[in-house]
Amino acid sequence: MSSGKGFRAAGIAISLAIALVPASAAHAQGDLKRGEKLFEDCRACHQVERGPSSGVGPTLHGVFGRGAATLDDFRYSPALKRSGIVWNAQTLDAYIADPQKAVPANRMPYGGMPEARDRADLIRYLQQTFKP
Amino acid sequence: MATKLKEVDVVIVGLGWTGGILAKELSAAGLKVVALERGSMRTTESDFAVPNIRDELRYVVRHDLMQNTARDTLTVRNNIAQEALPMRRLGSFLPGETVGGSGVHWSGHTWRWTDMDLKIRSFYEERYGKNHIPADMTIQDWGISYAELEPYYDKFEYVAAVSGKAGNLRGQLQAGGNPFEAARARDYPLPPLTPVLANEMFKGAAQNLGYHPFPRPSANASRAYTNPDGSSFGACQYCGHCQRFGCEANAKGSPHMTVIPIAMRNPNFELRTNMWVTKIVKDGSGKRVTGVNYTNVLTGEEFEQPATMVMLTAYALNNVHLMLLSGIGQPYDPVSQTGVIGKNYCYQTGAAATLFFEGHHFNPFMNAGGSSSTMDDFNVNVDFDRGKAGFVGGYIVGAGFNTALPIGYRPVPSGTPAWGSAWKAATAKWYDTAMQISMSGGVMANRNNYFDLDPTYRNAFGQPLMRMTFDYQANEHRIGQHAAQIINTIAKSMNPTRLNPAVARTQPWTVVPYQSTHNTGGSIMGTHPKESAVNKYLQSWDCHNLFVVGANVFPHNAAYNPTGPVGALAYWTADAIKNRYLKNPGPLVQA
Repeated sequence: MSSGKGFRAAGIAISLAIALVPASAAHAQGDLKRGEKLFEDCRACHQVERGPSSGVGPTLHGVFGRGAATLDDFRYSPALKRSGIVWNAQTLDAYIADPQKAVPANRMPYGGMPEARDRADLIRYLQQTFKP
Repeated sequence: MATKLKEVDVVIVGLGWTGGILAKELSAAGLKVVALERGSMRTTESDFAVPNIRDELRYVVRHDLMQNTARDTLTVRNNIAQEALPMRRLGSFLPGETVGGSGVHWSGHTWRWTDMDLKIRSFYEERYGKNHIPADMTIQDWGISYAELEPYYDKFEYVAAVSGKAGNLRGQLQAGGNPFEAARARDYPLPPLTPVLANEMFKGAAQNLGYHPFPRPSANASRAYTNPDGSSFGACQYCGHCQRFGCEANAKGSPHMTVIPIAMRNPNFELRTNMWVTKIVKDGSGKRVTGVNYTNVLTGEEFEQPATMVMLTAYALNNVHLMLLSGIGQPYDPVSQTGVIGKNYCYQTGAAATLFFEGHHFNPFMNAGGSSSTMDDFNVNVDFDRGKAGFVGGYIVGAGFNTALPIGYRPVPSGTPAWGSAWKAATAKWYDTAMQISMSGGVMANRNNYFDLDPTYRNAFGQPLMRMTFDYQANEHRIGQHAAQIINTIAKSMNPTRLNPAVARTQPWTVVPYQSTHNTGGSIMGTHPKESAVNKYLQSWDCHNLFVVGANVFPHNAAYNPTGPVGALAYWTADAIKNRYLKNPGPLVQA
């Protein structure tokens, strides 16, 4: 998703517009839609639905506030176990940006999401998804 | 004594791409479907996760996902004057043995075979005259056209997440794609993979010489993707462990993460693993099949599974073997040239140059299964003059990397000692600084290349092994010589520090080393039961409720990888069954 050149150029133009105008409710909706689309990067391995981890990766349900590598139903890498991370918007942002830079030798086969705006939309989508 | 089970609508023998597609489609149509798979269950999460999947010794050297030759294998020989001997260790080709079949460990290369192949005899006779085709070359038209298959190629490409660039959209040539491909209704579902250095260098050199390189279409998702069935793909991570491995990122289009789990969620479908089908059972008339016999390979228990329809969807070689063991159709005899089962076994030929560049770093450990820049100028290009070249068929040329692994991939310039400190120094120097240009060439059907049952050797179930009689013929030697010359011209134009030139394969075929898991033919499709085993809907001419789906129906083998038409034909067959056969069970084509 984030690697499309046209997308990135459009993203920059929109970010400039956002800087001038406070985010409206309609715009927040737009971000959620983008976030949901960007979650396609994760969906092949991670679920967001309640329930035990059923995929290649651990479930993301309830990830906010959870310590890294703490679910019993997933076999984590030693690197992630040692990381001491507690997941919040900031730590997730750094991890998703460049997983191997944030936690070297972790085993998530994902190259990273380089665009800050993409990550912000994705994290907003995740936050929204887990609201009761 | 075999336990007779309750009858079901459909029994599927082998659960790879073709079995998986039919399992999903036919269970969705409301039929009760049982699939019997000789291998065990494998899933991405439990079997292909990092780091355990990156094990070259287990998966490449010891063939963890492949057929166990201690249980069943083939006997092989080059011609009928020889005595065939059992292949006791896999080598030249690697049939899969797992849920997902060879669709788990393939590289993902997905091509659309065109009318040049589907109507091969007509094409060559019309353009080059009857005398251009050697008397012993038993090529024939397939009885199906590209126009009929186009929507099914499209369907398979979208299900399997093929990354590529269209070269011909509805007749309009597209920059950057393959200009020789047949017209397609729409582009690939995903853009091409990111090229690696070897792709770019080859592309530049080939273009300088007037050729038309393009990114090879491959079922390696170039970005995250959800297919039309809702199956989720991650983006390819260029992990360098594609061919021979399951994909850790769910980025390689494979049946175990697409069609099979969809079928498994359908209550109409049941999968039984570790079940070895030993025979397809015929009724008294011989005109219908009534089910299959199988053995649980873990317990030794034997079962009979009655079924209204049987889908033979094992690996191509094993489909033919089961037809021979079950007495379906008349076995082929190369002397009298009568019979059809076993006829037109084909393979592929190849050649490669290795180019060594001091100062370049190719990072061969980092690539996708489809990291290849490829050209079709000597394959489906109708203007390439086969009269002058003196052969039927063609070859594709490409460069890049596919699974350049630490044990097996050790390029050194020719003349380097094969062991010792000089070899060690050379392998350290050249591992990262070498690239290859290689070709894959078609093998035309020949009256002397065929399968039958071996008179001597038997498998673990006491049944005769299948005997493969095969050798490369003069046509393949000429393809190889032509290709080697073209490869070496391109290679020299790139001015490498050292060059191991390409050499045509002209020695007799042997079971070592690995060559290609593209075994085709043996129960071929066609327009008449005298010349083919199945009709254009892959329905047995002899037993109308038996469908045989796989590369075993190809009447010859082209330069391209076979999975594109294999997947398309599976969807085509599923549609023929759903839309026509179920309403009026009987032959879909009158003989």
